[in-house]
Amino acid sequence: MQRVGFLMILPLLGVLLGLTMYPFGYMVYMSFFRYSLASWEKPQFIGFSNYRDILRDRTAISSIDFTVLLLAVAVPLEILLGMAIAFLLRDTFGERVFRSALLIPMMVPAVVAGIAWKMLYNFEFGPVNYFLSLLGIPKISWLGTQFFSRLGVILIDVWQWTPFVFLVLYAGLQSLPRDIVEASFVDGASGFSAFRYIEFPLLRPLLFVVLIIRVIDALKIFDIVYMVTFGGPGSSTHSYSFYIYKVGVSFGWDIGYASALSVLLLLAVSLLVNLLIRMLRLRETLEL
Amino acid sequence: MRRGIVAGLAVVLVFLFVSVACAVNLVVWSSPDNADALHELAQNFMQKNPDVQIEITPLSWEVLYPRILQDLTSGAGSFDVTTWDLMTAGAIAPGMLDLEAFAKEHPELVDPNFDDEDFIPTAKYVYGYWKDKRIGYPFYGAAMFFFYRKDLFSDPALQAKFKAEYGRDLAVPKTWEEAKEVAKFFTKKFNPDSPTEYGIALMLPRTHTLFYMYLNFFGPYRRSPEGIAKFGKVDLDWGDYFTADGLPAFNSEEGVRALQDMIDLMQYAPDPLGSDYGETLEAFGKGMVAMVPQWTACLASWKESPLLQPFEEKVGVAVMPGGAPVSGGWGLGINAASKNKEAAFRFIQYATSKEGDKIQWLKYRIGPTRKSVVEDPEVLADSPWLKEAYIASLDGASHRPRIPEEPRLEDILVGMLSEILLGQQPNSIETLNLVADEWKKILGK
Repeated sequence: MQRVGFLMILPLLGVLLGLTMYPFGYMVYMSFFRYSLASWEKPQFIGFSNYRDILRDRTAISSIDFTVLLLAVAVPLEILLGMAIAFLLRDTFGERVFRSALLIPMMVPAVVAGIAWKMLYNFEFGPVNYFLSLLGIPKISWLGTQFFSRLGVILIDVWQWTPFVFLVLYAGLQSLPRDIVEASFVDGASGFSAFRYIEFPLLRPLLFVVLIIRVIDALKIFDIVYMVTFGGPGSSTHSYSFYIYKVGVSFGWDIGYASALSVLLLLAVSLLVNLLIRMLRLRETLEL
Repeated sequence: MRRGIVAGLAVVLVFLFVSVACAVNLVVWSSPDNADALHELAQNFMQKNPDVQIEITPLSWEVLYPRILQDLTSGAGSFDVTTWDLMTAGAIAPGMLDLEAFAKEHPELVDPNFDDEDFIPTAKYVYGYWKDKRIGYPFYGAAMFFFYRKDLFSDPALQAKFKAEYGRDLAVPKTWEEAKEVAKFFTKKFNPDSPTEYGIALMLPRTHTLFYMYLNFFGPYRRSPEGIAKFGKVDLDWGDYFTADGLPAFNSEEGVRALQDMIDLMQYAPDPLGSDYGETLEAFGKGMVAMVPQWTACLASWKESPLLQPFEEKVGVAVMPGGAPVSGGWGLGINAASKNKEAAFRFIQYATSKEGDKIQWLKYRIGPTRKSVVEDPEVLADSPWLKEAYIASLDGASHRPRIPEEPRLEDILVGMLSEILLGQQPNSIETLNLVADEWKKILGK
């Protein structure tokens, strides 16, 4: 019986391995080669040279800088805002309308969002600077200065992904047993106490899952950078994933070096996620 | 009667089916700025050659080169004809059809009126050759030009004020030093009476734009007699960024001075580091700036701008200050793996013919590559400035590298230039040496 079951899932297993493990294995394999389509030469085995080059690559190192900043600022902001909105919106008037409206940024394709935000940030004719000017704030170069270009990308990320956090936590809130909360009110608990000691602990598993998903996504940020700032000015918004794209595609398919960069990103993501799982004791919480 | 109609219809249907089945289908990949012109040229060609069906596929600039390279290296033959950016010549050359060899093998396909000698010599090489291989025919001739507000430069009151302040006549700048003074004069922050908010629009984002914009400033130094004495003659494959020996030339006093010229001008421009093609086009089109270095493709948009009417009286075109504008442009070539080489060869000859070149300019502002078109009375009546500025700009143009490593070299330099312009790195030879060292490592020098 067990053998039949195994045979039944074998095709699916094959597809899964073919689509995930093979490309992964090939990527690791190619990271030890010098291979660029633009050179029209056959792959040449160079051992760990690609990895050594990354350590001396100014652009790769400066890309880590912005990626870490995004991780440190945008992700916590999204979690806090998403959670706050989920709590505030619950049981309020017009909940359905707000709920639908809040999901729009998440549904807009990143390319469209990028073009829209680029227009919004336009120095001379952009609505953002126009509305700021009504408050007496002089024009801001959103795409031409380090501070504001970074802030600009972070704001777009927060705008786009806070709805995701909100959606998951809002769904989680709806599924919480209301009788426990109501019982706490009968016992004299305040709204904050109920949140602090009942709702938040019950939501924690979901919160951790959202956090991990957002951490992985933030490390991979590419589309917004590509559409809005192209990594500039300087290396202000140059993300690591964007650099992988440039090396792997724009530079003429430098497959060896891009593979090495990708392997390092994968290692970083895996390490960070494992670290988070350990720190947050996620295995116990989610009974993994 | 009815039987006759049915039979007639059947014959027509069979004829249509046979003609569609027998037609050669050419797939043409193109950058978006070439696509409209190619579409019209394809229509014209298909009318004269009903046995050929042409499908134009526009691909964005960022996507086109990787797609071409991927196809050529794999030998897939997904396209028959493509427009290729002059900078990609070295990378794509091995996979492109050698047109000279092909023409020798198929003399019956060569158009007797093609007139290969009519191409502007520089254009013929940079949009056509890699080393000795003819990988394309010149399709889109381009150098950057200096567009200015003719009405403001000829305003007597402004002329008098400029002369009083600077002790010379208000004229279209011929050097970047002159450009700084004129830009300051037309910037409200420094001259409250200026009719424009800013003197000049500059596009200096961290994209390939910065790579070519820098050459507008470095080119004049590189091509000056002192520059030629120091760096040697410019090699059209390696371009102005290199010495005659193939070593970086920008990590020099001249490279630093060129960057300083850019830094000095930035204060007279709206958001230079955050602006690209679209922003500067808009700034000039809306009358915010008096001058802008740009490509000819902008003309089509500005001709429609209400603020720039009457156009001939308000907009002037001149050679870039310093006289060494950066070149751009595209060749039109054939995939060596194409199964329709004969039809493709006929089509690219038509698209780059005198007729095609003229249509492209008059209707789509795609720069001519043929001398006869630049001298054509109808063309000159439409764009009198071509006579003065066009050939001079193309002949004196600075060139980017056309070697296969170009995209990577470009990204490294652009990153550093952007950091220098942003003030994150000092503008010094030492800083530029960091880039030069990386370039040498990539090139194995």
